[in-house]
Amino acid sequence: MPAMGRFFDGETGQRLHVDLYIDPVAETLRLEHSDLPMGSQYWPLWAIRALSENAREDQLVLSLKADTSLDSALIVTARLTVDDPDLTFRLLKLCPNLQRRDIAPGAIRKVAIWSTGAVSALLLMIFVILPAMANTLATFIPIEREVAWGRTVVNQMERFLGDGSVGRLACDNTEGLSALSEMTDRLTERAALQYDLNVTVFDHKMVNAFAAPGGQIVLMRGLIDTADSPDEVAAVLAHEIGHVESRDVTRNALRTAGSAGLLSLLLGDFAGGGAAVVVAEWTLNASYSREAEAQADQFALNMLDASGTDATGMAEFFDKIGELDRSGLDLPTYLASHPETKTRADAARVFAEAQGLTAPILSQREWEALRGICS
Amino acid sequence: MNTQIDGRYFGKGGPLFKLYLVTAVLTVLTLGVYRFWAKTRIRKYIWSSVSGDDDSFEYTGTGLEKFLGFLVAIVILAIYLGIVQMALFFFGLNLFVLPDTPGQEIAQFFAIYVTLLAVVPLMLFARYRARRYRMARTRWRGIRFGMENGAWGYAFRAIGYYLLVLLSLGLLNPLATFKLEKYMADRTWYGDGRFVQTGKWTDLYGGMKHLLIAFAILAAGIIAVAMAGTRNEVGTGVFGGVLLFVGYVWALIGLIYYRVYAFNYLTARKRLDDHVTFLARLETSAIIGKIVVGSIVVGVVVTVVFGVIGSIGAGIFMSMSSGTDFDPNAGTFLGLALIGVLYAGAILATGGLSLVLITQPVIAHAVEHVTVLQAEHLDSIRQRSADKGADAEGFADALDVGGAI
Repeated sequence: MPAMGRFFDGETGQRLHVDLYIDPVAETLRLEHSDLPMGSQYWPLWAIRALSENAREDQLVLSLKADTSLDSALIVTARLTVDDPDLTFRLLKLCPNLQRRDIAPGAIRKVAIWSTGAVSALLLMIFVILPAMANTLATFIPIEREVAWGRTVVNQMERFLGDGSVGRLACDNTEGLSALSEMTDRLTERAALQYDLNVTVFDHKMVNAFAAPGGQIVLMRGLIDTADSPDEVAAVLAHEIGHVESRDVTRNALRTAGSAGLLSLLLGDFAGGGAAVVVAEWTLNASYSREAEAQADQFALNMLDASGTDATGMAEFFDKIGELDRSGLDLPTYLASHPETKTRADAARVFAEAQGLTAPILSQREWEALRGICS
Repeated sequence: MNTQIDGRYFGKGGPLFKLYLVTAVLTVLTLGVYRFWAKTRIRKYIWSSVSGDDDSFEYTGTGLEKFLGFLVAIVILAIYLGIVQMALFFFGLNLFVLPDTPGQEIAQFFAIYVTLLAVVPLMLFARYRARRYRMARTRWRGIRFGMENGAWGYAFRAIGYYLLVLLSLGLLNPLATFKLEKYMADRTWYGDGRFVQTGKWTDLYGGMKHLLIAFAILAAGIIAVAMAGTRNEVGTGVFGGVLLFVGYVWALIGLIYYRVYAFNYLTARKRLDDHVTFLARLETSAIIGKIVVGSIVVGVVVTVVFGVIGSIGAGIFMSMSSGTDFDPNAGTFLGLALIGVLYAGAILATGGLSLVLITQPVIAHAVEHVTVLQAEHLDSIRQRSADKGADAEGFADALDVGGAI
């Protein structure tokens, strides 16, 4: 009594119950049925493949090695289902290439070509086209739109840092405010700025400052508390004015709008994929901002010099940030993307040595008032 | 040849979970590249679990062609998405005015996310292509399924019908369901036999009843809450809150009811090659049971297992921190690494358990409640020539369309 198998020829929907015989000498599997052409078919054992990941443990679905194609729909082969346990056992033992996966010739080359294409398209977009577009578009946005957007960003920031409402975090001591505007005026009196500056202090312990689009600048109380002289605060303020003038934030937001989608596209949704996108975007951002930071530093040094303020204040403030960094205290996120503080401090010191006559940017009384701006 | 064929499902939880775990780990180790092979292997398992008249289905797709399709899609999408997203963002910015009210401000903040709409037509396009690819790679008795080209036609129609659904506040949902399924079904083939979708879209309103009830309850809840707000009545507020919760749960169940109803109706009114007909008798209660039980088990297992591991890890971390010569940076790094591993592990476990405890049981139920009638005609169906254009679902992979399998 021969073992039976169900045979499909791959051309018709007809099922043939064929008799199966293994010929160990000729190393073939013989299929017999009166409806087969010539009554029988011979399958060489070495050319038999079994379908992978078959859920049915009680059967084997076999096919013959076919001329493989990259488009798997084009492969036409017959199928033979075997569920006779004894025959299954013998086939597993006698067919040498049963589990082998055949790869179409040229597949590796095709993958290599398209991988290169995909990677170059992404790199070109992320590093060349998107930044260039962002730079151009940033100059097209009308200033009043940018100001409106900047207000929204500052309000969002205030909600995030404070108790969720707007208007509570901003410090409003009258003398402090006038000292602050005094400092801003002295810094900017010799500069022709495209933006009207709107400088605010938030009552928050973070040692940080940020520039939002359209001339919005926010200093944190922690930064003023950490500074030992008004010149140090002026250095940070001048640095942020540099960001405002070169439209760094607007440019960055435009660029991110383009590239964030691309990165999530590439990495997909595997476990941790979301986190990987955040990390990749952050790294990309840091590489762009290092350049922007260096430019803002240079802008700040020139501005300090033009207003007759000693750039040593900048060097001293960078030294302090460097120490905060090392002691691992609450590291402000924005500092992490800044160039090495030591290098920046040294650059400021070199610049300061070449400076002529300087004076503190605020009088002792004004400095006291600024320190009390949040009280 | 039997004149009636009942679907059977042979897949088991254990082997599928093991397959998922192995492929998921490989996916993480290869930074996501293996995901095309992972999905292919899982499909092969699920397809081979389905059988009719004791002949199993077969999935003939390969991971390699999926990967290639993805690379091709990336080249096209990189250019399209990068430029379109930035352009939309730019025009979004140009709409900015000085915000007067907090509401306006929040609206502007979200206006930026309008850029996400840029991918909607592509996602619909990808949905059709993905189905076409799956059909072209599915065989039963050695005969291929297939679908005609028509992805853009589908995408445009889908946008139109979904806009109608939106404008009619959901009331025209059956129209969209029926017309879009008919568009796809009428282009589907088994060998040289063509499928035809018959029936009327208005017949699907029977399936909408629980959704309509849910909306009535939700509306009542909103009115009650609003009244409580103006009149300052606590009792009415609580009542409104209860109504909102009941309405929400009712809507979730109503949605499943609708989908099952639509599946049964649409399947029963499909014909293959003018002779073969189908019967689908899926039970809403059974499917809801599987989804609810499955979700609870997945939720509890993931929470308990990762809660325990997490607190043990936190305990070790704390005891290390209390040591005198403890380096805070090393500790932070360890902590972050632990969180990262737990995060990835929890996502993997949730995915695998959902596949085994929710997706597979629902598929099994569906398969075992579908019957093919006049099946003797299947013998006369012959192979179709291969769909050369049905290349891999690269866009669907890139845009994350298609769900679990």
